[in-house]
Amino acid sequence: MDLNELPLDPSLASERSIAIKIIGVGGAGSNAVDRLKMDNLDRLQLACINTDSQALGSSPVQEKILIGMNVTRGLGAGGDPELGREAADTDREKISVAVKDSDLIFLLAGMGGGTGSGACPIVAEIAAESGALVIAFVSMPFSFEGGRRLKQAEEALRNLRQVCDAVIALPNDVVLQEAAENETVLDSFARADNWVGRGVKSIWAILFKTGLINLDFSTLRQVFQHRGGKTLFGLGEGSGDNAVADAIASLKLCPLLHVPEFSRKADRLLVNIVGGTDLTLAKVNQIMSAVAEQFGRDANFVMGAVIDEARQGQVEICVIGTSDMGGRTVPSRRATTVKGRASFSSSQTEPAVVTENLIEEELPATGNTPSGKTQTSAVKTAQHEFGFGELESRGNFERTDRNLYDGQDLDVPTYLRKGIKISL
Amino acid sequence: MKSKHTFIAAVEIGTSKITVFIGEYSGRELAIIGRGECPSHGIIKGSIVDFKKASDATQTALLQAQNEAGEDIDCVFLAQSGGHLEGFYNEAAVNVKSADNMISQSDIKTVCDLAKAKMLPEGRSVVHNIQRPFRVDGRLVPTSPEHLMGQRLEVGYWTVHGQKQRIADFIHVIGGGNLQVREVILSSLASGHMITTAEERQNGVLAIDIGAGTTDYVLYKDGVAHTTGVVAIGGAHLTNDLSIGLRLTTDQAEKLKLRFGRAVIQSKDKADRVWLDGNFAIGDRQFPRQTIEQITSARMWELLEVVKKKLGHAFTPETCASGVVLTGGSAKLPGLTECASKIFAVNAHLGEAPSWLADNLRDPGYQTALGLLYYSLSGKAGKASASSETRGFLGTLSRLFSNG
Repeated sequence: MDLNELPLDPSLASERSIAIKIIGVGGAGSNAVDRLKMDNLDRLQLACINTDSQALGSSPVQEKILIGMNVTRGLGAGGDPELGREAADTDREKISVAVKDSDLIFLLAGMGGGTGSGACPIVAEIAAESGALVIAFVSMPFSFEGGRRLKQAEEALRNLRQVCDAVIALPNDVVLQEAAENETVLDSFARADNWVGRGVKSIWAILFKTGLINLDFSTLRQVFQHRGGKTLFGLGEGSGDNAVADAIASLKLCPLLHVPEFSRKADRLLVNIVGGTDLTLAKVNQIMSAVAEQFGRDANFVMGAVIDEARQGQVEICVIGTSDMGGRTVPSRRATTVKGRASFSSSQTEPAVVTENLIEEELPATGNTPSGKTQTSAVKTAQHEFGFGELESRGNFERTDRNLYDGQDLDVPTYLRKGIKISL
Repeated sequence: MKSKHTFIAAVEIGTSKITVFIGEYSGRELAIIGRGECPSHGIIKGSIVDFKKASDATQTALLQAQNEAGEDIDCVFLAQSGGHLEGFYNEAAVNVKSADNMISQSDIKTVCDLAKAKMLPEGRSVVHNIQRPFRVDGRLVPTSPEHLMGQRLEVGYWTVHGQKQRIADFIHVIGGGNLQVREVILSSLASGHMITTAEERQNGVLAIDIGAGTTDYVLYKDGVAHTTGVVAIGGAHLTNDLSIGLRLTTDQAEKLKLRFGRAVIQSKDKADRVWLDGNFAIGDRQFPRQTIEQITSARMWELLEVVKKKLGHAFTPETCASGVVLTGGSAKLPGLTECASKIFAVNAHLGEAPSWLADNLRDPGYQTALGLLYYSLSGKAGKASASSETRGFLGTLSRLFSNG
C-alpha cells in the first residue's frame, strides 16, 4: 500500500499538531511582534491587532486586524483604555476569526495605554472562549510615564489575570535599570522585546524541539490550570565551560524574579532546559536542584529538557511558575469560560463581580447543609481573596513606623512574607 | 522624712501593661511595699503614640502603687525599650603612664573617657554605656585594674543609644505627675538580671524578654552584659498575624493565641478544628488548629532568628554555655523553649524567678520591673556586682509579700 494514500500522512499529522499564534495588541504589542518576525521561528503564526490604521499599515506582519473603526475612526485609542475596550467590543467577530483554531495563543501588549490596556483583556477572553491556552506577555509602563498610566496598567493587568491562563508582566523599569548610560531608546525597547522573545521562544522550543525529557502541550496546560494567580517567569543562560553554573547564576540574577520572597514560591513550576547535544543528565540534575532551592521544594515540578543542535555548549533555563494564591476564586478553566461569557461586560470593569457571582452560585449547591457550614465556605473564599489583595497588610500596626529589617517589614505577618499557605 | 528611708518606684511602661513597684530603701536593704498595674493605652511596639492616654494609664498605675504603699515616691527608675534603640561597640587603649607600669586611677579614667567619646548621630542620646571587662596587656581583668602592673590598658563599651524624642516622651509621662526620673535603664538589663544567676552570666548566657510590643535581649559573657538589643516585635504581632490570617478582631485573635498558639507546630491533623469561643454562642466559628500553630510558630521562629542575626558573631553556642533563658509575657507561649533551642543550638529554658520571690511576683511579666529595683540598689546601671546585697533585699521582699 502506498504510504501517501493513508488518511494520516506524516506531513498532515505534524500540520495538525499544535497551532501557536502570537498576537500583538496595541502599539507596543505590534512592535514586539514585528521584531519577533525577524527571528524566523517556523510554525508560528503572527498577527497584530490595533486601533491605529497607520501603525498597522507599516507593520510587516501578514495578518493585521483593525478594530474599532466605528469608535476611533482608525486613529488609535489615544491612551484611553475605555476607548480601547469599546473598540474591541464592537469588533468581537473579527477577533474571534483571528483566534480561531489556535491551541496556544501568546498575547503581547504594553499596559498603560489605550488599546493595550483596554482591548487586550477582551482579546484574551475571546481567545480563551475559543478553547486556546492563553499566555500574555505584557510590559508595564516606565515610572516616568506617570501615575495615571501606571494605574491604568494595573487595572488592565488585573483584568487580564482573570481571563488569561498566565500573565507575565515585564516592568519596563527593569529594562531601564539594565540600560547603559548611552543606550538609545530604540535599543532599550529592543531589549524589552528581547525578554518577551526569549520567553516565547522557550515555550516554542518546549513544544517543537526534540526533547531529551519531552514536554507536551497537555503538560503545559496542566501547569496553567488555575487562573487569576500571579505567574513567575525567569530566564537564565550560560555558555562555555561553566555553562550550567553560569546559567544558574544568570537565572538567579534575572530581573524578572526580583520580587519579594513570598511571591517567589510557586505551586506548579515548569522548568525547561535547552542545550546542545552535550547536555547530560548530570547537568540537568544540577540545574533542577538549584531551581528547587530557589522556588520552593513543595512545588509540583514539570521538567523538560530540549536538545537544540544549534546551541552546542550553551544552556538556557526557562522557569514558569504559577501560584494558587488568589487564583482559587476562579477555580477551573471551564468555570471561567462559561461564567465569563455570561457576565462579560461586568468582568471587564470590575473583576470582583465575577468572583462574587461564582460564590453565590456555589452556595445553593450546598444548600441543605447547616447554616454554619455555609458561612465558613463564604469566609473561606473571602479569605483567599484577602490574602492575595492585601499582601502588604500590617493590621494594627498600619499607622506606625515601618519595622524594617533585612529589607522586610516585620510588621507584616511572617506567614505572608514567607509564602506559607494557610488553610481555613 | 528621714533621709535614711527613700521610696523608689520602678516603672515599666510596656505595650500591654504598665507595672509599678515601690520599694522602701532603708540604707541597708530594700522591701517592696506597693504594686500598681494598669493596662496600657497609646503605646505600640514599645513607643508612645498617644501621649494623653499613655500618661493617664501610667498615672493610674502610679497612684495605685502609692495608695498600696501609703508613701510618696521620691524617685523613679524607668525601663526603656523600643525599636529605636540601637547599640554599638567602641573600645580604646592607653599606654600606662607611670614609670613603674602600675595602673593608676587616672589611667583608668582616661581610657574610659576615650572609649565613651564616640559621637552619636544627630537627635540620638545615650541610654547606657555598658562596660566590658578591662584588659591589661591583653589579659582579662574582671574587676578594677587599679594597682595592677602592665604596659597597656584597654577597655570597651557597648553603647546603647536611642532617639532623644522617644526617650523624652517616656520621661515626660512620669514628669507629668511631678515625679523625678532618676535613671533610665534598659529593659533587657533589668529583666536579664532577674532571670539569670551570676554563675550563668559568667559562663555566658543569652536572656530574651519577649514582651507584647518588643523583644529585649542581652547577652552576658564573663559575668557582664556584652551585647544588648531590641527587636520591635512581640506578642502583639502574634495577635495581629492571627487577626489578619483568620479575619478576626484583635480581641478574638488574642483569645485564640492564648488558648491555641504554639511556637512549634504540633498538630499534624489538618481536620483538627478548634472553636473560637467554645461557648456554643451564635457566631462561634471553627478554625484548624494547624493553621493557628502555623501562623504563630512562623512568627516566633522569625523573631528568634532576627535576634540571632542581630547578635551576629557575638553569639556562638560555645561561648554561651548556659544557653538561652526566656522571659516576658509572651514567653508563656507553649513550645517556645523547643523553638529557641533549635534556633540557637543551645539549651533553652524559661527564666525562673529567684526562689525567694513571693508567688504572686513570679509571673514572667514582672521581671523587668523587679529588675529595675535591683538596679536602683546597685546605684549605677551596667555594673554587675552587689550580689550579696540582692539576697538581703529580696529576702525581705518575699517575706512582706507572702504575709500580705
